[in-house]
Amino acid sequence: MLELLGTALVNVVQVKYLVPLFFGTLAGVIGGALPGVTITMTIIVVLPFTFGLDPLQGLAAMTGVYVGGSAGGLITAVLIGIPGTPSAIATTFDGHPMAKKGEPGRAIWLGVWASFFGGLLGGAFLIFATGPLASFALQFGPWEFFSLFVFALSMVAGLVESSLAKGLVAGGLGLIVTILGNDPVMGQKRLTLGIPMLEGGIDFLPVLIGVFAFAQIMSEVERMGGAEKLVGAVDRSLSLAVSHFKVMGEILGRPFLLLWSSFVGVVIGVLPAIGGSAASMFAYDQAKKMSRHPQKFGSGVPEGIIASESSNNANVGGSLVTIMAFGIPGDAVTAVMLGALTIHGIQSGPLFIAQNPQLAYGIFAAYLLAHPLMVLIIGLAARFMLRIVTVPKSALFPVVLVLCVVGAYALNNTMSNVYVLLAFGLLGYAMVKGGFPLAPFILGVILGDQIEINLIRAIMTDADPWLFLTRPISGALIALSVASVVFAVWQHYRHREHLAADGDADF
Amino acid sequence: MSRDGIAGLAVLAASLVLFALTLDLKDNPMVPVGPGFYPRIVLALTAALSLGLVVADMLSRARRAPTPAAAAAKFNYSLVAISFAVFALYAIALPWLGFRIATFLFVGGTNALLDPPASAKGWGRALILAAATSAATWLVFERWLSVLLPRGSWTGF
Repeated sequence: MLELLGTALVNVVQVKYLVPLFFGTLAGVIGGALPGVTITMTIIVVLPFTFGLDPLQGLAAMTGVYVGGSAGGLITAVLIGIPGTPSAIATTFDGHPMAKKGEPGRAIWLGVWASFFGGLLGGAFLIFATGPLASFALQFGPWEFFSLFVFALSMVAGLVESSLAKGLVAGGLGLIVTILGNDPVMGQKRLTLGIPMLEGGIDFLPVLIGVFAFAQIMSEVERMGGAEKLVGAVDRSLSLAVSHFKVMGEILGRPFLLLWSSFVGVVIGVLPAIGGSAASMFAYDQAKKMSRHPQKFGSGVPEGIIASESSNNANVGGSLVTIMAFGIPGDAVTAVMLGALTIHGIQSGPLFIAQNPQLAYGIFAAYLLAHPLMVLIIGLAARFMLRIVTVPKSALFPVVLVLCVVGAYALNNTMSNVYVLLAFGLLGYAMVKGGFPLAPFILGVILGDQIEINLIRAIMTDADPWLFLTRPISGALIALSVASVVFAVWQHYRHREHLAADGDADF
Repeated sequence: MSRDGIAGLAVLAASLVLFALTLDLKDNPMVPVGPGFYPRIVLALTAALSLGLVVADMLSRARRAPTPAAAAAKFNYSLVAISFAVFALYAIALPWLGFRIATFLFVGGTNALLDPPASAKGWGRALILAAATSAATWLVFERWLSVLLPRGSWTGF
């Protein structure tokens, strides 16, 4: 394993891979720093650029976006109090107050170095855990894969912030998208609704792009009404100079905080569709509860920044484990990466590492190298980022939509994917306005075909339906699915009782 | 009925219509279960869940005491609707006008829609952005990355 990793590191430092990795990381840092532009949107924008590259170049760029974006959000979070990404919300709580006290450089670099160390700890988990997890998943038969995918869907539906019923309905809608067009086992036409375009089924990538890009952009457009800039005046007299050794010492001098926050980030990253924002909020909350001075949190303490940033970057490593070991995306960003693999004809899942060792270890190497690149980019460009964030949304959004169209069209050079993009853009926006979560919907779209294929295969192998429960791994996964739904219901009723006891209005 | 109930009804209706369509699907002798087996499970479950959402909405409205109307946040839904319409026009125009012309019109038009220029300078900026986006994306994708972009059947361009 270490020999393969060493070879991959030597390979990825070649200009051919280093250049896309650098530009991906740069795009991620910029996209992450821009409030209203998520890492998901940034990776969607980068996706079409990867079509003309080889698989490792494309995935290196996307890995760079993910790492850069997870750290980039802290720049505006610290300097102007607006998190660039949801995963930087918790960084705002102490980063901005520290900057206002006259220590913007210390706040930024505490976040950057915490991201660096947390990300590398996440990388260690990624490298050492993916292989054993993939080997474990190789024991799976179609019963186990069916149950695993159902578990992933039920957990996502149960853990999103909106109601369980809406989460499950959203998941069901996603599964419905996959039954339109054709049967994935025999290729027989079904439910085409008389639309010739549907006969080949619906690709998940334009659905993903449409749903996330339009939901995000139109949610910003509905608040526009005139000249809009992302931020107002920029303080150009800011000094971000700091002693890096002193800042690193502050982080490494709190080893338990760093390790625990990174662990939280990795675990939450492994769980599908929960994301970096939950990781950083949970880690921040834990850091506050474990602190001897919890009342100081929110006034500009370094522990708040370290907890938030180390966990949100470790989260990236956790998300990559799930997609590389099981073929299940941990979040929307890894869902787009899954799309990129599919475009290049590569099947992710338990056999991915065994069948594509150079690519798999190349991704590990790109992930590790993205971290020093991220530090370098922020070091050189942090102050200039504030000029970039003054770009008007009215200029940014049409450019992003054009790149989304290119991404959708280029999949198979037909306009049908562009129409799918528009249709699901409308649906995605309607779902957001209706309070329906997008994560279970997208996971349903991504996993729907595989759920059906494995169900049919299981029945073709042995028609006994009890095997789903009597086979140990499958039975355990089905039990966990039921438990996650029961837990979500219990949490919902507990929250309602809590609100009723407080006499708060229920909205 | 609230938004949740209406959404639940819409999903219920769609699920039931699609379920009815699956009854016409013919089984394949090579597979023990036909192409309609899995869709019927998915559609039945989704219909049940959406019915549950409708019922939960009706029960929660019956249980909830009337609350004073909160101040509605002001959202510019007309701008959203127009933005979607402009994008739809762009998607329709692409195969007729070609990528470069359609993109130029779309970027310039959307920029002007979201931030109406107040002076000739503003219009100039919008036109430059539109031209730059169209040219840059064409150069990068078609020329450099060999990713084909739509040609216009009217323009050949």
